[in-house]
Amino acid sequence: MVGIKSRATTAALAMSLAFCAFSSVGAQEIEHKSKEAIKGAPAPSVTQEELSKAGKDTKQFLHTNGNYDQTRYFPGKQINTGNVAKLRPAWIFQLDVKESLETTPIIVGDVMYVTTSFDHVYALNAKTGEQYWQYKHKMGPITTYCCGPNNRGVAVYEDKVYLATLDAKLVALDAKTGSLVWETQIADPEDGYSETMAPTAVNGKIIIGTNGGEYGIRGFVRAYDAKTGKLVWNFDTVPENTVGVWATKDATGKDLHRDIEAEKAQLAKTGDPYKTLGGGVWQNPAVDLKLNRLFFVVGNPSPDLDGSLRPGDNLYTDSLVSIDLDTGKYVCHLQYIPHDVWDFDAVSPAVLVDVKDKDGKVIPGVIHGGKTGFVYVHNRKDCSLIRFSEPMVAQENMWTLPTPEGARMLPGANGGVEWSPMAVNPKLALTYAVNLHQPMTYQVQSSPYPDGKLWLGGAFKVIPTEASFGNVTAVNYNTGKIKWQVKTPEPMMGGALATAGDLVFTGEANGWFRAYNAESGKILWSFQCGAGVNAPPSAYALGGKEYVVVGAGGNTQIDFKRGNNIIAFTLN
Amino acid sequence: MRQAVIGLGLLVAAISTVNNPAFADDIADKIQLCSGCHGESGIPQQKTTPVIWGQNQGYIYVQLRDFKAGARKNDQMSAIAADLSKDDMKALAAHFSGLKWPNLQQPSPSKDVTKHALTVIGSIGCTSCHLEQYQGNSTTPRLAGQQAAYLLKTMTDFRDHSRANNPGMSDLMNAAQPADLDPIAQYLASLTVIGGDGQ
Repeated sequence: MVGIKSRATTAALAMSLAFCAFSSVGAQEIEHKSKEAIKGAPAPSVTQEELSKAGKDTKQFLHTNGNYDQTRYFPGKQINTGNVAKLRPAWIFQLDVKESLETTPIIVGDVMYVTTSFDHVYALNAKTGEQYWQYKHKMGPITTYCCGPNNRGVAVYEDKVYLATLDAKLVALDAKTGSLVWETQIADPEDGYSETMAPTAVNGKIIIGTNGGEYGIRGFVRAYDAKTGKLVWNFDTVPENTVGVWATKDATGKDLHRDIEAEKAQLAKTGDPYKTLGGGVWQNPAVDLKLNRLFFVVGNPSPDLDGSLRPGDNLYTDSLVSIDLDTGKYVCHLQYIPHDVWDFDAVSPAVLVDVKDKDGKVIPGVIHGGKTGFVYVHNRKDCSLIRFSEPMVAQENMWTLPTPEGARMLPGANGGVEWSPMAVNPKLALTYAVNLHQPMTYQVQSSPYPDGKLWLGGAFKVIPTEASFGNVTAVNYNTGKIKWQVKTPEPMMGGALATAGDLVFTGEANGWFRAYNAESGKILWSFQCGAGVNAPPSAYALGGKEYVVVGAGGNTQIDFKRGNNIIAFTLN
Repeated sequence: MRQAVIGLGLLVAAISTVNNPAFADDIADKIQLCSGCHGESGIPQQKTTPVIWGQNQGYIYVQLRDFKAGARKNDQMSAIAADLSKDDMKALAAHFSGLKWPNLQQPSPSKDVTKHALTVIGSIGCTSCHLEQYQGNSTTPRLAGQQAAYLLKTMTDFRDHSRANNPGMSDLMNAAQPADLDPIAQYLASLTVIGGDGQ
């Protein structure tokens, strides 16, 4: 200890310390001044009936994935194959945060809500792009998250806007002013929990999962009371018995090369690994209001690459799961990859569509685009697998086990289909998925859980001497056949939108935002956005004009060019 | 005026968490102790001692926590952290993260060294966590503008597991080759910290 301090110095220091405690903002935010609210938003209340009928709403875009079925099928057809070539920017809004942009714009009346990395929310005039208000979340000093400070958007219900944050809070805002109504701490970020997904609002509940599959968390899906923020129910995505049936093959019948005897010996020694097994849910659930059930996919087991510490099938990681909407009680599941050691989490949101079963009978189904590059088609009643598609990407050396030196396998750990939501055109029985081709080596290295820090159990390494690229693929979910596929120069991440105008919209890392003919895959329109278009598009109509809107802000996870624009397009 | 009122409100609320002058006095002593090695003006005494002025708050807290728990080992730091409470660690993290990162004026490496560094960085995906400008966030440290010798030592220590409090980093460093580490250190050290001195 050096020097002598006066009491005044100490007091000044106390104030300085106190102020510092409240000044934790992301580095990227420092360069930008927050804007004062200009005026309140003319935000109409969103009713449950509107949310339930969103699939037929040609004016608003009320859910992250369009509707409770998550088809991302917009029923408007003013913009169509015949005129999309005349699509032009209507307005461009520049966000304060220039970092990974994965938001889905939500449109209620003529108000649009978008979010940014580090959890800012904007309410914009959907016709002009002018700002009504901006909410800047006061981030706690501790956040632990993998793969970018992302946020994928908000839910809107009645008079509130709901946001989940990197410091693992659920936040309710006044839709008119953006002021905080309540916030609830979902879990402790110091233990590896964080939030990047948009919440889902249904029947007075706000549904939320959690990130943390790279941090030794125990995953969950929870329902909170929309009015008060109180917990209604909790479903652990990882039950206390995660062993399962010692499956030796994946859902498609491929050998997983498991050493079952070694796993059984480990289980006898260390017990069930459920407390740190991961199993995050970081994309929205589909909601079947008729069955009163949720359908969602569960992420990878922790640690990602090292299976030696987690014997058993690791239920319900890498699975489709259905639970009761009122109680959160388990109904059914299907595990795609038991005892995954490749980070092949199920993550692209589950989609509810009517599908043909093996006998050709039309039944309620669920589909999911996997990191494997397969589209999986399920029976909604019991989660059972009806079929899987032709592979949309090259599959090489599946399922070769990770080694200390690194074993090459395709797909890479980002897929296939990453978190990118698929879109569906039900008239054509086609689902549209965006894929990555990213050759990687998988290295395993065993270590105990490092207390809230990244726990991969090894490393994934992109092979720099091999080409990476992507594709947009249309798959017939009644046959599993690929209808069309367009190769893209960069790996694809962001998601798709289908419309009744028989179009499919999706963006690329190189800044191109394109419209495809839904039936043929022909590119009908392109616009250069200047930064990676790695966010799912939305559509809406105002004053008799239809719009398509998308974020162009790049991506942290695979380091695509950053930007900060929300761009709305309409016909000339 | 509105901002000033809000600022004062926050300050009053915050002081109640820092809670008393005795605590502040104690923390001031501890800050002085830190400055002995990390520098009175933010420039460390040794090349292998990290810059902590302007380092991310969550990262400083977690490192102090790990030193105290023994997950990260260093003779001096382990001894210092042994007596810190959780509140001490949070207060120290808040203090140092609020200071301005010093400009060490480290030189830019040659084009070949930069190219080598960027190839490896792209392959193992450093920016996934440390972000595009290597500023990190919260529990992930800033790398841009850190001391080159400290960066090289840290990567080497992760690689041979002598620094054991982040096995994920050890795995990533083992996905690189030993000859890759110095180019990465030189490249990162030469970058500018947003909000740092000399901006």
